[in-house]
Amino acid sequence: MLTDAELVARALKGHQEAFREIVVRFERPVYSLVARMLQDPATAEDLAQEVFIKAFRRLDTYDPQRKLSSWLFKIAHNTTIDYLRRRTPETVPLEVGKDDDRGSLAAVLADGSSENPAAAAERRGMARALEQAIARLRPEYRESVVMFYVEGASYQEICEVTGLPLGTVKTNLHRARKELAQQMTDLGWAPRETRDARAS
Amino acid sequence: MRSAHQDILDRWLAAEQNDRADEADAALAALFTALPPLLPPAGFADRVMLRARLEMETEMVTERVAVAMPAPVRRSLFASLWVRGALTLCLLAIGVSVLWLPQMLHAVAGLLSVGGLVRIWTSSLVTACRWLGSVLGLWDFLMTVGRALATPLETPTVALALVSCLLVSLLAFRFLRGLITRDRSWTYVNS
Repeated sequence: MLTDAELVARALKGHQEAFREIVVRFERPVYSLVARMLQDPATAEDLAQEVFIKAFRRLDTYDPQRKLSSWLFKIAHNTTIDYLRRRTPETVPLEVGKDDDRGSLAAVLADGSSENPAAAAERRGMARALEQAIARLRPEYRESVVMFYVEGASYQEICEVTGLPLGTVKTNLHRARKELAQQMTDLGWAPRETRDARAS
Repeated sequence: MRSAHQDILDRWLAAEQNDRADEADAALAALFTALPPLLPPAGFADRVMLRARLEMETEMVTERVAVAMPAPVRRSLFASLWVRGALTLCLLAIGVSVLWLPQMLHAVAGLLSVGGLVRIWTSSLVTACRWLGSVLGLWDFLMTVGRALATPLETPTVALALVSCLLVSLLAFRFLRGLITRDRSWTYVNS
């Protein structure tokens, strides 16, 4: 399997398949980041496509010493912020307890389960609650959480992408995790022991 | 029966309650791994490649058009027959009008005597000198103000204080400018 740098080198030589491989390799993390920042899957697809098109246009500026994922995340970060600045303020919140959430991020997340109905329902509920909790975070917290916990990016990579100092990134992540836990508890997902203690 | 997801969630929230940061970090990461990933819609890569190809083709067409179309040649202003005609007519009109010029000059000379001309010239000279005097007076006033302002600066302490103030204001300006124009910060995004 070719490394990211090799793929970029081949793509620069005009191999379309190499660029396609880059897209396939990074479509999930880029889409995941953009979608979670926007909370709107339809716009997220357009914007994620734009991220790759921008990468395609500026592929010659990619420094092979850096991780390709960081470079793409940086483009995604800039593209998302530019989009959010341009658009009129509007949010598409994920309503708690809404049965029909087709098209929402929670629905996209919870699709394709092959578990038994009860487990699938629980997982769907948990995924929805977690997405709601993430959506309620401040944008800079949300971005750090998605990059660190979902995409497994390092602190340094998050610093590179967001342009924030290391200390701020660590503080953001700590506070975001605390806020997420509080949100999950508020949404009825307190630890089993706590719930049992409350019930008794 | 407790599901694996519920176990991880409980572990995370319990670690959070007890301020065990490392354990909470690990459990939250595990929870995200256990939950279904957020995937782009099917055919995403194909659509990206289509857009990329269209982009390439557009670029190529633009380049081809640029090569195929010769650079616009600057036409001389006098290339147009109309301009040449108009110019010839203007020159003819000037040539004809020259015939009346001596008569016109004679008529104008009759209106002005030598004494009148001298009077006009001297009054113009007096007015110009007055203006010059006013300007010099203003310059003298400005020089006085400048000297008064510069006198304290001859004292090193005052000069140092002034330079310090200028530096502080310069730094403050730079800081404010950076704060306002900071690019792509979530601070300026309303979401």
